[in-house]
Amino acid sequence: MKTKAATAACASLIVVMLGAALGSVSIPPGDIFSIISHKAAGSPLPAHIEPALVAIVWNLRLPRALLAFFVGAALSVSGAVMQSVLRNPLASSYTLGVSSGASLGAGLVILYGVSIPFMPAFTLPFLGFLFGLGTIILIMAIVTRLDWQMENITIILTGMVFTLFINAVTMLMSALSREHLQRLIFWQMGSFSMKDWQAVFILAPAAVLGTMFVAHFNRELDIMTFGEEQAKTMGVDLKKVKWILLVTAAALTGSAVAFVGVIGFVDLVAPHIIRKLFGSAHRYVVPMSAVFGGGFMVVCDLIARTVVSPSELPVGTVTAIIGAPFFAWLYFGGRKKKAKVV
Amino acid sequence: MLTLKNVSAGYDGTDVVKNISLDVKSCKNLSIIGPNGCGKTTLLKVIANLLPFRGDVEIDGRPVRKMKSREISSKVAMLAQTSGIYFAYSVFDTVMMGRYLRMDSGFFGLPSTEDAKHVTRCLEAVNLVAEKDKEITKLSGGQLQRVFLARALAQQPEIILLDEPTNHLDLKYQVELIDYLKKWAPENNCAVIGVLHDINLAMQLSENILVMKNGETQAYGKTSEVVTGNLLEKVYEIDVARYMAQSLKRWESLRS
Repeated sequence: MKTKAATAACASLIVVMLGAALGSVSIPPGDIFSIISHKAAGSPLPAHIEPALVAIVWNLRLPRALLAFFVGAALSVSGAVMQSVLRNPLASSYTLGVSSGASLGAGLVILYGVSIPFMPAFTLPFLGFLFGLGTIILIMAIVTRLDWQMENITIILTGMVFTLFINAVTMLMSALSREHLQRLIFWQMGSFSMKDWQAVFILAPAAVLGTMFVAHFNRELDIMTFGEEQAKTMGVDLKKVKWILLVTAAALTGSAVAFVGVIGFVDLVAPHIIRKLFGSAHRYVVPMSAVFGGGFMVVCDLIARTVVSPSELPVGTVTAIIGAPFFAWLYFGGRKKKAKVV
Repeated sequence: MLTLKNVSAGYDGTDVVKNISLDVKSCKNLSIIGPNGCGKTTLLKVIANLLPFRGDVEIDGRPVRKMKSREISSKVAMLAQTSGIYFAYSVFDTVMMGRYLRMDSGFFGLPSTEDAKHVTRCLEAVNLVAEKDKEITKLSGGQLQRVFLARALAQQPEIILLDEPTNHLDLKYQVELIDYLKKWAPENNCAVIGVLHDINLAMQLSENILVMKNGETQAYGKTSEVVTGNLLEKVYEIDVARYMAQSLKRWESLRS
């Protein structure tokens, strides 16, 4: 198991390096290392590396690849939490209205020019995060009042009702302000273009700390997959743990979505793939979902920005186009063979 | 150890359990029998603090209403009737979950060697050591039942609540399970409260018995004194004498 985990971590690191190396100008891995060590540790830069290459790697590709990695990691860990807490293999933060809330926040900024004084550049990510997180807090507060046991079915149904309602409000806002509609639609498709180190410096600690915090609850997550009654009889403080984990998962999704827009699918498939490869114990599922989801997102972004270069595809569509067949192959691939043996 | 005084509980405003009182002492198992829908499982859920109730439930002299759920779980474990499985855990990991309240496992909740030893002992008790690395989704119903029993044992409770523990088990494992629990309770100064449909197994498991019908107590006391043909006829609405005669006849023909 440790070898598998180390292999996955190394593979993700290589993928991040590829993210920095590949593009309209391909840069050898050796030069990538030289540029990174020059910028990060001040080591001398080899004479053959031109300043333009340094700028491409350090200012454009590396922050973009790292941002993609942390976004993928945050979304995947969030998906793992949602699936286990709600005992629903299809559950995600999006089911509970996080992306809808974030889109509403983004809509206010993009369509109506809402701006926070002194920090206009951060208005979009800040309101996206705030509305995404706010939605789930509101849902949980309502569920607590509706159902003293906070049963999963109540949470999911309330989340779906909220998602539909908020989507309708966002659509109404869009219909009334068509001149900025295209920008909102592109935001909702997700993109890593034009992202710099600032976004990485904010998202990276959020993703790492959020993942570690979720990992702290790995035993509760394991137990909760067996159902609410069993979790209670084993001593899990269900209401408290559900609140903590669902809000943390929403915060992880909200912080990722805030910077890059809505990117789906990775949060759904990454935890399932990890369960298939590493088993269901959350001491593996949580960290390995982060590692795999991060690497997967870097690959998707690489494809999104290279396949129709110099244009870009929306990364949200690439995650599904690449992810769906990969998931089907991994998850259902062995079944036909087994059936033949029988 | 466990006292219930005039306990009533139910769902959606309708009482399924009505005015039940009982007293369970350590090392004295209790079986609960009665027809389907008479409130046996609901009563277990009340004891496990899974359902709101009226009346008083006390564990070791303390009202459960004043106890935190962690405290209750450290004293009461429950083997539920049905257990939906969504993800494929190993047998060992599943039983380890029972150690949740007993583990001092650091920030990331990793089990200690001592916990692993305890889990192995629980697996030995239910004869599943060989299957410890198997995924629980690949087990038979009987094996799964034994895994969940091992998980309840891993909790090191004072009281184990068993809801139809012999479901899915073949005759050999049914007898072995009841024999094991009979031995386990006095050895650990604990008690087992079991809901059972098989009256023979119920009588074999426990010194005391609670017979329920329509949510109410029909009889409660020493098994040997309480269970009579008349009572069973009244509770189950069957001709017990005829049923027993047929069973004995079949047994005689099998023996010959």
